[in-house]
Amino acid sequence: MTNTLHRQGRPEDLKGDFVIFAHTAKGINREGSGPKIQEFMRICLRHNPVNIGDAKQGNIHQDDIDIHQLISRQGDGSAAAAVFTDLDTLEKVIRDLIEADLGICINVSGLLDEVRACCRKLGIERHSVEHSLGFWGAKDKLPERHILEIHTMCGHGMVSFNFIRKMIEQVKLGRLTPKKAAKILAKCCECGAFNPKRAELLLERFRKGLT
Amino acid sequence: MKIDKTKCVGCGNCHSVCTMGVIYLDEDGKSVVNEDECVECRTCYRVLRNEGYRPWFVRAIRRVLKAFRLAYLAEPDVCPTGALTPQELEWPRIVRATFSDPSTVHEGTGVHGRGTDEIKSNDVTGRLRRGDVGFVVELGRPGIGARFRDIEKVAMRMASLGVEFERENPVTQLMEDPSIGKIREDVLGEKVLSAIIEFKTKLDRIPAVLRALEAVQGEVDTVISVGIASRCLPDGSVPHEKWVREAGYSLSPNGKTNLGLGRPLFQEE
Repeated sequence: MTNTLHRQGRPEDLKGDFVIFAHTAKGINREGSGPKIQEFMRICLRHNPVNIGDAKQGNIHQDDIDIHQLISRQGDGSAAAAVFTDLDTLEKVIRDLIEADLGICINVSGLLDEVRACCRKLGIERHSVEHSLGFWGAKDKLPERHILEIHTMCGHGMVSFNFIRKMIEQVKLGRLTPKKAAKILAKCCECGAFNPKRAELLLERFRKGLT
Repeated sequence: MKIDKTKCVGCGNCHSVCTMGVIYLDEDGKSVVNEDECVECRTCYRVLRNEGYRPWFVRAIRRVLKAFRLAYLAEPDVCPTGALTPQELEWPRIVRATFSDPSTVHEGTGVHGRGTDEIKSNDVTGRLRRGDVGFVVELGRPGIGARFRDIEKVAMRMASLGVEFERENPVTQLMEDPSIGKIREDVLGEKVLSAIIEFKTKLDRIPAVLRALEAVQGEVDTVISVGIASRCLPDGSVPHEKWVREAGYSLSPNGKTNLGLGRPLFQEE
């Protein structure tokens, strides 16, 4: 999920956007990790994430996804992710994960200073950090900033620019509520890293003509 | 991806969902995929629920509505007749799916998505140690797509700096010769949603890498998302920050943090 690295937005919007995910390394802690990843998912679920899923099976906003069944089918090395919209909840999740001592690798994407403060509060120091250096190359091909804000919430780039435009249009025409449109957008993001709550707030803002 | 024209009713829902924007309405009023530009991400197939209507029924309804100057408007996340038809892919086209469809696991790395580990498991692998810096240079992202011909240009430029490409990375595994960043000839024309060149070098090489990226970015017909990572010092500070700022670049306020909860924790000598 290099993917979650390049989320765009104003700092006040990013304050409501934290992705926590589990990862394993082949030959080190991947083998036998299935039950630990399932426990990671159950811990996240207890704290009511706005999205949760895994890349292979999908996320809770997709059709016919039963999260308990999804968890029960997770095996060694499954890519698991959950999204939270405030730091207090993230802190509770990390506290539970520290207590559970699962031994799988845990990463958080979000405002780095906030995540660091959260770690320190819980008595741990961050291990490694990755920053985005932004977009390079043929930037003239990119769409407007507000489209990118929604698009980059799916790290794999599965929410197309045109679909975002269509959802904005549908919201402006009153055919969809911002909440419903955000949920439809979330369906595109396979691994569950998309933040539908933030998308809903952005769509509400666009509906009012603000970007 | 193909569209079964015997089923398609031309509702156009797949046009906007397509990550590359390469599905369009053909002259016969039915949708068609520009296969040269399609990256086989299968987003259209996964997102648009098959409503299972019979095509003749939908077409008849549309004709009746048209007579009353009304239009048929399908829900935005359905394919009314299940016309989207995934294909069995063969080499080299299958490379498109492995790099573009996140539900696919890369055989070489065992990782979903773009198949990279970068700092996600650094607490147990120790891939980036003190004094190291890792780069992830993702071509095609956001939302534009990239051909391996362009990916090779950037890889070769980075290789000329003597960087160490990550062996457990899907792009590295397509290289004929990682010492020069040359990618195998038969995939150069393939297009993917994005692909990540992943390498490490020493912290003091950061300015040289950024200068080289600055130079090569104008030679590619796509966008590049660049990430930089390092192992934190015992007080939690990030070694690469100083080097990046001194080189005249700014860092994002957000990013990724490895919490160091993996076990067994890699012990650096």
